[in-house]
Amino acid sequence: MDKSMERKFLKTTVAGILLEIGFQVVEPAALETLVEMLFSVLSQMGNSSRRYAEVAGRLEPLGADVMMGLIDMGLFKSASSLLAYAKRSNRGVLPSPEPSVQPRQTCNLQAGTRLPHPPYMPSHMPSFPDPHAYIRTPTHKQPVTEYEAIREKSAIQKHELEKSLIKFLIKTGPTESLFLNQENDCFPLIANKPQQPAYISALIPMDQVFDDDPDDSEMPPPSKKIKLKKDDLNKEEFDENEEQENENEEEEEIVNCEETEIKQEEPIDNPFLRPVKYPAGH
Amino acid sequence: MPVAEDTLSISDVIYQLQDYSPTIPDSITTAVCSEAGFETNDPRIIRLISIASQKFIADIANDALQHCRMRVATMPTKSGKVPKDRKYTLTMEDLTPALNDYGIVVRKPPYFV
Repeated sequence: MDKSMERKFLKTTVAGILLEIGFQVVEPAALETLVEMLFSVLSQMGNSSRRYAEVAGRLEPLGADVMMGLIDMGLFKSASSLLAYAKRSNRGVLPSPEPSVQPRQTCNLQAGTRLPHPPYMPSHMPSFPDPHAYIRTPTHKQPVTEYEAIREKSAIQKHELEKSLIKFLIKTGPTESLFLNQENDCFPLIANKPQQPAYISALIPMDQVFDDDPDDSEMPPPSKKIKLKKDDLNKEEFDENEEQENENEEEEEIVNCEETEIKQEEPIDNPFLRPVKYPAGH
Repeated sequence: MPVAEDTLSISDVIYQLQDYSPTIPDSITTAVCSEAGFETNDPRIIRLISIASQKFIADIANDALQHCRMRVATMPTKSGKVPKDRKYTLTMEDLTPALNDYGIVVRKPPYFV
């Protein structure tokens, strides 16, 4: 409770006393004077009572100490007059101030169980903090280090990766059906693209590819690519001996090409399958 | 100081304050006194302080009321008759002589900030 709050209540008290005495209206200056006097009387009385109690060797003031303080200040006339004033008929009582709503104590996250005090520590000492604060912090999931588990996990991951890739290709690429009727394709398969001739991949030495034409592999001119795609499809496949470093790229191009053909048959609205747009100038 | 002539002791007063609630709320008195270093768990002591300071203010106010009444009675009224239910206003004019009786000198502040 801050001082302004106390003053507010003392002001109400003084106003109540004045009303009791018979005043209906009060000047602000007079009211403030009385409030200030009441405040200083209260604190002065507390001060002198405490001093008397301390002189007598007590910690808590008794009624006699308060009385001595009153006598000191010249406010004490007689106990009976005090009691008579206390028992006056027309006294009003102020409602005691409501305690302001305290912000709720946010409970800390408890980690681990706190250790009890060892026997040599008295019980009034504060309890130990959470063990992680001074012993160690346990991680709740130990990393898996077994070979079998890791192997299994990686296998599952690989399987899932393949599955999702297949799904993607089925959705975006050409498909074949297991069954003859093409209408309801419940079990679509990725369309196989036959190579011409089929044995050519076995003859090409894939592991001895040296990057001798880095310009071509890194930044192939787009116009050439498009031309390759459209016209020299078959030729390109036969020229793979010469352009082995481009093989992957070109395979992609073939796929793209086939996809565009399919697209003409049944258009799929997929932004990834739209033809490449080049900035103006080409 | 006329203290000892009384038959009633202060402990009797304190005893009678057990179930008494003064006009000043206990918590306010406790707060003001604790600022002066006064700490107690006995609500009766707090109430005793409340009663005493309340009585002090009430006595002053009573004196001021007497001053006010006298001033109004001596003041010439226009119609010549005094209205029966008069409203009394506590002004500094009345409060200052009342406080002077208690040895407290109140002066008007030279200026208001």
